[in-house]
Parts: sequence; C-alpha cells; structure tokens
Amino acid sequence: MAEKLEVKQGTLALMILRTLDVLGPLHGYGVARRIEETSKNRLTLNYGTLYPALLKLEQEGSIVADWRPSENNRRAKFYSLTPAGRKQLAHEAREWNQTADLIAAFLAPRTAGEAP
Amino acid sequence: MRHLRTALARITALFTGKRSDDDDLRDELQAHLEMATAENIRRGMQPDAARREALLASGGLTLAAESVRAQRGLPWVESIAADIKYATRALRRSRAFTAVVVITLALGIGANTAIFSVVRGVLLKPLPHRDGNRLVYLRQSTDGPGQSSVAFSVPEVHDIRNGAKSLAGIAEYSPWTLTFQSDNEAVHIEVALVTGNFFDVMGLSPVLGRLTRPSDDGTGVQPVMVLTHEYWMKRFGGDPSIVGKQLKLEGNSVTVIGVVQPAPYFPDRADALLNMVISKHHTSAQMVQGRTHRMTEMIARLAPDATLEQARTEVAAVYARMQAEFKEAYDPGSHFSIAVIPFKEALGERARLTLWLLMGAAAFVMIISTANVVNLTLMRGVRREHELVVRAALGAGVLRLRRLLLVENLVLTLTGAVLGVLIAIGGVRMLISLAARYSPRANEIHLDLVALSFTLALSTTVALLLSFAAYLPKEGTLASIVSAGVRRMSGSLRKQRLQRGLVVAQIAVSVVLLAGAGLLTRTMIQLSEVSTGLKTEEVLSVQVPLLALGGGDFEHIAQADVAAKQGYDRMQHEIRAIPGVIEVGVGSTMPLRNSDVQFDVKADGKSLAAGEAMPHADLRTAGPEYFRAAGIPLLKGRLFAATDRRGSGNVVIINQTLADKFFPGEDPVGKRLGWTGDVLRFTPISGDWRTIVGVVGNTQDGGQDAQPRSVMFMPFAQELALGGSLVIRADSNVAALAPAVTRIVHRIAPTAPIERVMTVAQIKDQSVAPRRLNAALISLFGSLAVIIAAVGIAGVLAFSVSARTNEIGIRMSLGADRGRVQRMILKEGGVLLVTGLVLGVGGAFFATGVIRGLLFGVAPHDPGTFVGVAVMMAVIGIVACWIPALRAARIDPAITMRS
Repeated sequence: MAEKLEVKQGTLALMILRTLDVLGPLHGYGVARRIEETSKNRLTLNYGTLYPALLKLEQEGSIVADWRPSENNRRAKFYSLTPAGRKQLAHEAREWNQTADLIAAFLAPRTAGEAP
Repeated sequence: MRHLRTALARITALFTGKRSDDDDLRDELQAHLEMATAENIRRGMQPDAARREALLASGGLTLAAESVRAQRGLPWVESIAADIKYATRALRRSRAFTAVVVITLALGIGANTAIFSVVRGVLLKPLPHRDGNRLVYLRQSTDGPGQSSVAFSVPEVHDIRNGAKSLAGIAEYSPWTLTFQSDNEAVHIEVALVTGNFFDVMGLSPVLGRLTRPSDDGTGVQPVMVLTHEYWMKRFGGDPSIVGKQLKLEGNSVTVIGVVQPAPYFPDRADALLNMVISKHHTSAQMVQGRTHRMTEMIARLAPDATLEQARTEVAAVYARMQAEFKEAYDPGSHFSIAVIPFKEALGERARLTLWLLMGAAAFVMIISTANVVNLTLMRGVRREHELVVRAALGAGVLRLRRLLLVENLVLTLTGAVLGVLIAIGGVRMLISLAARYSPRANEIHLDLVALSFTLALSTTVALLLSFAAYLPKEGTLASIVSAGVRRMSGSLRKQRLQRGLVVAQIAVSVVLLAGAGLLTRTMIQLSEVSTGLKTEEVLSVQVPLLALGGGDFEHIAQADVAAKQGYDRMQHEIRAIPGVIEVGVGSTMPLRNSDVQFDVKADGKSLAAGEAMPHADLRTAGPEYFRAAGIPLLKGRLFAATDRRGSGNVVIINQTLADKFFPGEDPVGKRLGWTGDVLRFTPISGDWRTIVGVVGNTQDGGQDAQPRSVMFMPFAQELALGGSLVIRADSNVAALAPAVTRIVHRIAPTAPIERVMTVAQIKDQSVAPRRLNAALISLFGSLAVIIAAVGIAGVLAFSVSARTNEIGIRMSLGADRGRVQRMILKEGGVLLVTGLVLGVGGAFFATGVIRGLLFGVAPHDPGTFVGVAVMMAVIGIVACWIPALRAARIDPAITMRS
C-alpha cells in the first residue's frame, strides 16, 4: 500500500478549486473522492478537514454552494467555482508551480564541477 | 480583500441564525456518509460493514461539525460570551461571596483611584507651560523662622541674569495686593507685577487678547493687566468682552489686555498679572537699585542645551561672587543661600509628603483587600474543586479552565472597579479641597482617562492574580482525583500556607496603618491643645485696610493716614456700642496672623557676637486697647496709652521671644531697641531708638505648629496706619457679632475692602484643619484595613474549621471537650495574630520614620501609640478568632461522623 500523506497547509484549498474547475459543480463527497483518487489514495480526507476548508472558501467568495438533487436523487449541497475563485485558482497554481520549480532546482542532484 | 470578506462573514455569523446552519451542516455530513456507504456497498461490502467503514473514514461527525462551527463564527468570542454568562450565573449563586469581594475591591480601588488622581494632578502631570519641565524656580533663603524664602532684589536678578548663561530667560514677578474698586464694592485682589518677558519665559499663551511684552516695561507706559483664567471665570463669568475694558485699581484705570491660559502661580495665588508701572514703588530707584530690597521672585527657563546641574553650579558660582563683592548685603550670621529647583517640584513641595503618605496608605488598603479577596477565592476554589475536576474530566483543558476563572474574576474585579470609580468621584471632590491647601495645582486634578486606565490596570492585575492563585487539576492526575471521590476539602498544604501568609500580611499592614493613624491623630490633638497665647477665644477680628500703600507713593500718604486713623476711631467707637462687646482694639495685623513686615533689630549697648545671625522681628502696630481686646497677656511694664502719640517719645512693646533674645535674665523695660538694616531706606519706618515700655506673651502667629517669632509692637498712633485690623472681644458668642460689625465698617468706609472676618476659634481651626483631614483619612484607611483583616482572619479560621469538621468530630468523640476544641482553634488563630503583630510593629517602626515631617508634638516611635495600636489590633484579632472557635466547639460529633 502506498505511503499515507498528511494534507499540507494551504494545498487543500488549491486541490478543491482545481477539482471544481475540472469537474464543475460537485458535492463534498465528490470532491473528497476525486482528491483521494487523484492522489492514488495516498491522501485521505476526513470530514473535519474537508468541510471547514469548503466553508472557508465559501466565506472568501471563491466558491458558492446550493442544494440540488444528486445523481441518485438524494439532496446534496453542490459547490461551484465563482469568477473570483477561478482567478484565485490561476494565481495560486502559478505560485505553486514557481515554488515547486524552485524547490526542484534546489534539490537537483549535484553536477560535476560543483564544490563537494 | 479575501481576509476582509472572511472576517465579515464570520462576524455576521455571530449574530445570524445558527440553528438552520447547523441543520444544513448535519444534512450535508449525513449525505456524505450515505454516499460513502453506498459506494462501499457497491464495492461488495455488507451494509453494516459498509456503514462502519464509512464512519471510520469520516473521522467523527461531531468533531467535524465542531471544526466547521469553529470556522463559521468567531469561536473565541462565542466561548467568552458563554464564559461571561456562566460567570455571572455562578456569582449570582454565591451572593455573599460576590458582595464581600465586590465591596472590598470597590473600597480599595476607589481609594486608590481617587488618590492617584490627586497625586497625578498635583505632582506627576506635566505642567501646562510650554516645555514646563525646563522651568526652574530660584530661591534665596536665610536662617530663622519665616526666612525660608526671602525673594531677590532687582540688582541680584541682574547679576544672575548676566552671569548664568545656562538660564535662557528669567521671568521676574513680585506678588502684590491691590484694591479693585468695582461699582458697589472694593475688594483686594492678589496680583503679580511682572516683567514684559514673563509670559514668554513661562511659556504661557493667551486664551483671549494679548499678554504683556517687553514694551510694557519701565515708566511712562500705560498700566495693563492680564487676568488669570481662574479669576476671569470666577469674577467675570468668562465674559470675552472684558478685553479692552478699563478696571479701577488703586485709583488708576488699568486696561485689561487679555486672559492667560490656566496655570498655577507660585508662591502665591494670582488673580491678575500687571506690568510694573502700576506701582511707583516698583519702578523707583530704591527698588531698582537697592540690593537688599528683596521683593522679586524668579522663574527661569533652562537654556536649550543646559542641564539642571549646570544651572545649579553656575548660579552658585555667580552667587558666591555676589556675596564676596557686596559683603554688607549678606550678613554672614544669617547664612544666605540659593537654590535652583525645578518649578514642578517647587509647586509640589508642600503637598508631596502628605500625598505620598495617602497614596501609600491607599496602596496598603489595596494590598489588604486583594489579600482578602485572594483568600476568599481560594476557599471558594476548594469548594469548587469538584466542579472543576468534572469539567476537566469532560475535556476542558487547563487553559480553558484558567480562562473561565479569569473571566469570572474579571467580572468580579470590574464590577468592583465600576463601584470604586463611583467612590473615587466623591473622593476626588473631597480631596481637591485638601490639595488646595497644599498646592497651587489643585484645579488640575481630574478623574481623567489616565486615572481610569490606572483603575483598569489595577483591577485586571487583581483578576490575573486571583485566577492564578486558584488550584487547577493537572491533566494526568484527574483519574486519581475523580476516583478519590473529590472530597478533599482541606486543600493542599501549600495553599493553606499561602492563606495563612496572607492573613499575617493583612494584620501586619493593618498595624502599620493604625500606627500612622495613631500618630497623626495624636499630632492633631497636640496641635489643638497648643495654647494660642490668647486668654480667650471670644475674639473677632476684622481686617480692613483703610490706608492703601499699593501706589507706593509715600509723599501724599500723611494726609491719608490722618483720615484713616479717624476712620478707625469712629469704627472702634461705634462697635463698642454694640451690646455684648467688652473691648475693641485696633492694630496693623490681626492676632494669630503673621505680620508681613520683618526687619533687623538692634539693641542699645548690645553688639552681636561674631558669626551670630542678625536678629529679626515682626513689625506690628497696636492701639492701647489692642492687647486687652485680643487677650494677649501683659507680662511686664505697661500697655500703650493714649499719650503715646506722634511727637511723644518713641515707645515699643516686645514679646517674650524678643525679650529673651536680647535681655535674658534682665528686665527689658526701660531698655532701648531700634529697627536697623539697609532696607529701612525704602520704607517710612525710621531706625530711631525706641524705649521698651512693656513685655507681652507670645502668640501662635504662624499657626499652631509654628516656632514663636520675635515681635516688636509700635503704638498705632505713632506710625502709619499700616494694615489695619479691628479686634473685638465680647462676653459670649462673638461670631454672632460679625454682621453688625461688618455693617458699621461698611458704613464708615464704603470703599474699603473687608478682607477677613474671623474669630480666634476659626483662625485656630484653620491651622489645625489640614492635619485633621490627614488624620481622618489615614484613620479611615486604618479602620478599613482592620475590618478587612478581621474578616480575613475570621474567614480563614472558619474555613479551617469547616475543613476539619471530621477531625474535630473524631477528637470530640475520643474525649476532647468543647473548651479544648475552642482552645485549639484559638491557638491556630493566635499564632497568625502574633506573627502579624510582630511583623506589623517592626514595619511600623520603619514606616513612621518617613512621616516624621507631618508629626507635631509626638515622636515617630511614640511608645504609647505603638502599644495602643498593638493592643487594639490584638483585641480585634482575638474577637475575630473567637467566632470560628465557638463554632468549632459547637460541632456535634455524632452528626459529623455520620455525614
């Protein structure tokens, strides 16, 4: 079984925004499943982590929520991205990529000619 | 922006409906769980296992809901609101505890807030003057009573101005009294004659009009006046149209040019400030050139880069040069000296000791009340241990419990603070009148924001102290406490020691306060028992100067003097006709008041020993009836007679002190004395020899605690009618004569200001009153402390008894009788009491040395007071111990053992 990872501070919001961007309006369960699947089940999201994060994004105005029937005709709360959320996603994705590049460059294996 | 939105959303959530949000959340989580279960079933699990698996993965629905709720609103606000609600409910349940704590704290906080306001207003607050901390007051003094500040002469001011470069500017002013004639009455006003640079140096600005400037100096200018803010409000009701008006002062028209901002004046109060031209005397050659003609006060501003130390060194050097150059102006025996004092300190010097004493006493009361409240809280804490343990067991962390306690204690102390501020409002009003006797800054005392922050800081500190004194169950020890059944009423040993220590401290501090109160009370009693030197108190004196010297124009004064004396004759004559009046006399100064005029004295045939200080005496004049009317006893010789007039031989009557000085062991009658000194040139007084015809007893002219001064009386008829006071003696109730006397005076001299109408009893009382207030305040604090300490010791013992009920029950069933149990508890209290007493007496021994300066007629370590205080505290302490001891003795072993 793959190693389990903790959700890193700040990354969860980015994952949620991206999920809603790719899949469109989705309920909490769907978001959780998608994130777990994308991480190849290395991440598990309990409710106490997921729902406060959703509420926080809602308070920030990045997403909105409304009640709709779900695929199997159950009432569920669906979250969808707002224009502000889309902007935030772009912004944070760019920052994240830059950071990742930077860290990658730092951690790159030593090349010849460099001091030991 | 995003943060703002979040904050807004969360704050809104505090107030909007939460129930529907909670329902929503529950539905949402439920839906999530069901979807997860359904998914698990689809993967082939049994329904039960599928649900269990989903639940496991959820991490707990309640916990999740809790986290979401925390994100939704502002959890700390909500929980603090809940804490406050809980605290008030808990406090309302234990009413007696709450009442005692709140009242104790209110008294402590009230006293401290009030006295802090006064200390701040009078001693600490920056002066209202621009850069007021750069102002220094210069004081010249010599040895002898009444010589602590002899002011400066104009040449001395010049020398210091030219010599001391560390002083950027020197403001000169001369306190003076002028008669202000309004439409229907004449009043005396206190003024300062100032140089044009006065306001600039002092850093004062006008609130209206302009202030004096250098072009107002010298002769040949118009007399102008600047009103002080206080007088403007008091006399003219703050009327802005006063500027430009002409007022009639001393027969001259003087233009009001402005009103100056509120500020304290020193050493005397001032109603108005005028340029010098109003007084011929102040612009005369005598005044301007006479080195010994000392009438000018000096306040200087330190140069921008100069320090106080530099100024002191420099002024001292200039002064030494002056003394070397003008030997005749500085009699070596009088020890002339100069001091440079920050103006703020000079303003506060008379109030300082009294105020710090009061502040110290108030702080002591605060310590005692805090100790009591801590003790009460500790006891209550023990009773609440059960509750706190249960809360801890249910998951409340130590921090959370601490916060609950803190909120509860804040509710207590802040309630106390609110009540305390109410007490302080009343207290400040009373203290202002006390402070006004000591300080020109009394009108700067306000219960302002700084004082209120002080109160807030004080009550918050107490609340913190209380919260951390309480015992909290530590995590990890819970199980043992819960399983022990939580009935550890006695509390830990450490805590008991703390409680006992607090009681000992309370008793010790009370003893210190009581000792102070005792000494001050004895001081007051001693003072009022000092004989005034007068034979009776049925004496009324009226100060009514008919001859004005304000203009300083001696040439035209002879005629005015004749008219004034005729006026006094008529007044004496008419007042004598009032039924009940026994005698009416006239003199320059009323009895028991210091004369403003002092000169050096020489005796015929006596020379000063080398290094002996030049003797001074107060100059007073008296008519033939003055001594009999005032009740001043004649010791030797005769009183003045009607034949001691102008043209007849110069005669004087001296008091006992002056007689002892020049003629110890001799009969002074028939010997000759005379005034002397350079300064006589500037006065209408001659230095001729005068024959002593009588010796009279000393009187307490400078107040009940003053050293007796030498006095030389001259016949009222032989000299100018300076001052002018009527002295009236009646057979009884002399105070009732005041209206009739005032009417007569007013009819005969309608334009003369009647300055003071006072009975001897009133004058005496005025001199004792400040000490009485001191003694009363400290006694009040002392009694407060004792009551609180008594409650403290009784409370701790009562608590100990209730904690030991079981033990006492066992003892009694094993044969201890009631007496023995009672003795046991008394002994427990006795140890505390004795320890407190010993510490307290030791502390008082140190503390009372500090107030030496406030005592009169009693030593700081007066054994009588100390013994009295110790006995009083012991008696109160024993009574306080007796109550819980009796209760212990009444314990029924059968009942306690069964419960």
